[in-house]
Amino acid sequence: MNTIFFSLLTVASLFIFMNLGKVRASKKQTDRDDRINRFGSKRQVHQNRDGSKIIEGEAEEIKNEDQK
Amino acid sequence: MSKHSALNTFGRSGNPAFTKNFTNTDTSSLPLAERMTLDGAVNKTAILLGLCFSGAFLGWNMPILVIPGAIIGFILAMVTIFRSPSKAGATAPFYALFQGMALGGITMFAEMQYPGIGIQAIGLTFGILASLLFCYKSGIIKPTENFKLMIVSATMGIMFLYLISFIMSFFGPGIGFIHSNGLFGIGFSLFVVAIAALNLVLDFDFIEEGAEKGMPKYMEWYGAFSLMVTLVWLYMEILRLLMKIRSR
Repeated sequence: MNTIFFSLLTVASLFIFMNLGKVRASKKQTDRDDRINRFGSKRQVHQNRDGSKIIEGEAEEIKNEDQK
Repeated sequence: MSKHSALNTFGRSGNPAFTKNFTNTDTSSLPLAERMTLDGAVNKTAILLGLCFSGAFLGWNMPILVIPGAIIGFILAMVTIFRSPSKAGATAPFYALFQGMALGGITMFAEMQYPGIGIQAIGLTFGILASLLFCYKSGIIKPTENFKLMIVSATMGIMFLYLISFIMSFFGPGIGFIHSNGLFGIGFSLFVVAIAALNLVLDFDFIEEGAEKGMPKYMEWYGAFSLMVTLVWLYMEILRLLMKIRSR
């Protein structure tokens, strides 16, 4: 009985691994600011929790004369 | 550059296979067919698991292969980690085969003392693998820099303790209480199993991020190899824990 239970557990777990492993992780997992960054970030635009976006770069004052 | 100075000092993962720095890898010029994918990493893990089981079959029937298997497996792991991660496709299959031989023989000796313990350890190892994969994919467990720092510290601490115990065993009984079947010994084993299991989460995250950022194809083998290293460690610790419990 013991052997059957653990054998079934092994087969089921391997089946889950083979199928679930090929599925991409949920947005909850991938879209986080505190994610581990091993390979260097390619993203320049970060999203806040409220959905607004921050674009990295230097701030530049816009004068009325420039707009004309 | 991480804002956590300790991570920069001690490396970026609990698993030694992940302490290698890949941040300078340029992937922008790689064609799609030469980029790492989740499918590729999972399939390669399955190949390594198959080779490990084949090695275990040999080790079970020829227990004389335990020590050569363990030594050659260890050397191949060191070569893969420190010398040529890009050659993981050549070294990882042999690592899995030789480690399998060692595990097969060790399991056979454990089975002689405690019948049925092998399948229990295998079932628990893969059960933990599947449940943690689900927790990772669904976002229940979220690996962060602090999480990694915690796992790195604990893993290094355990390795250091094992090393001291091994050296001390040449001169006397070693650190006996961590190998005992008392409450402390079992508690220690439970802690080590938990740390080994949490290393799996870092492995999943490594593979997920590598596939997401389109790292080179050889990283599929490297990711699969890293997962195998953690699985072998987890299996050994579960076997030790079960032996301690059964010997009471």
